[in-house]
Amino acid sequence: MKLNERSVAHYATCDSPADHAGFLRKRVERHHHHAHHYGTSYQRRWFVLKGNLLFYFEDRESREPVGLVVLEGCTVELCEAAEEFAFAIRFDDAGARAYVLVADGQATMEAWVKALSRASFDYMRLVVKELEKQLEEACKSLAACRKSPRRSSSSGRKRHLSNPALLPLQEKPSILENGYSTWGSGGCIPGGAACPDHDGAQSKPPPLPPRRRSATGSATGSPVPGLSPAMLESPVSPDTVCFSKLHNWYGQEIVALRQEWQERQKRGHL
Amino acid sequence: AVLKKRLVKLVVNFLFYFRTDEAEPIGALLLEHCRITKEEENVFSISFIEEPERKYCFECASEEQCQEWVEALKRASYEFLRRSLIFYRNEIQKMTGKDPLEQYGISEEARFQLGTHQQ
Repeated sequence: MKLNERSVAHYATCDSPADHAGFLRKRVERHHHHAHHYGTSYQRRWFVLKGNLLFYFEDRESREPVGLVVLEGCTVELCEAAEEFAFAIRFDDAGARAYVLVADGQATMEAWVKALSRASFDYMRLVVKELEKQLEEACKSLAACRKSPRRSSSSGRKRHLSNPALLPLQEKPSILENGYSTWGSGGCIPGGAACPDHDGAQSKPPPLPPRRRSATGSATGSPVPGLSPAMLESPVSPDTVCFSKLHNWYGQEIVALRQEWQERQKRGHL
Repeated sequence: AVLKKRLVKLVVNFLFYFRTDEAEPIGALLLEHCRITKEEENVFSISFIEEPERKYCFECASEEQCQEWVEALKRASYEFLRRSLIFYRNEIQKMTGKDPLEQYGISEEARFQLGTHQQ
């Protein structure tokens, strides 16, 4: 499967801040057809979490990741491995491989599990929706406040009020599309902050990342690098199939490279 | 340049593409640090920051669909979501004096901080 690997490597290594980073030991997964088991082994890798993507590098100075895990449709849980401070990333797709990782202490393990549990795009989207609602409610109670100043319940919130006639979006910083800052402002407004009819629902903390689902863009289209008329919905979670392929993609590259290198070694080349 | 008919699917911040009769994708584009540009009629392109002259072009069935795709793709990155979150958090904080993330116990996390993700 093709991937825009230069862009991916660039994203992984550029100086946009990582959400979490550090050394972890990663269990080596042997293919099931290796009948003889030499026991489990671990490789120390430099891990970088950016958004919903967990990259790992051979070492901290590597210029390209050797692997990528897309953190969608997965759970992160503590592990009953022989190793202390082990945790695993497991996918809803039973066929997808799990990643067993080992931290060097309780604190680093907990920090990783926490960071990874909240890394999914879906979780982020959930939080953004919650905040969107809250902003609408804040707008609304502001407007209500203005209409009926006797409402003392809202008075406590007047400290930092901006003019309700001025939609908050007016003051927005230039929201740069897709993180593409050097290309000037993309001018994307993150959703509207209109005030719908909405009774103040009790805000609950966003649940842990949902196990399923992702938005599929609607596409009806025609020929040419086209957008086909039919959006095929496979009954068997097509999304995790897609991400499994991505995970395997990196694995295959490395296996191939390693074989190549070993061949050359045998032949006495550098 | 030859144009090929593909089934294209946006899943979180990835654009997968398939041959029209296959269930597994033949390729994917990670949609971070990319620019979505409306080109000529029915056509949009995706390009990436480290190689701006290389464009992945897509032709749609109609101008309307083209606009839908452009809008969807512009909002498809994790970075865009993050910026939205930071923006809303800041606005709510200004309006109500409270940090909306506090009750979720995530107010200290790096990914949600104002100012850390300006590039």
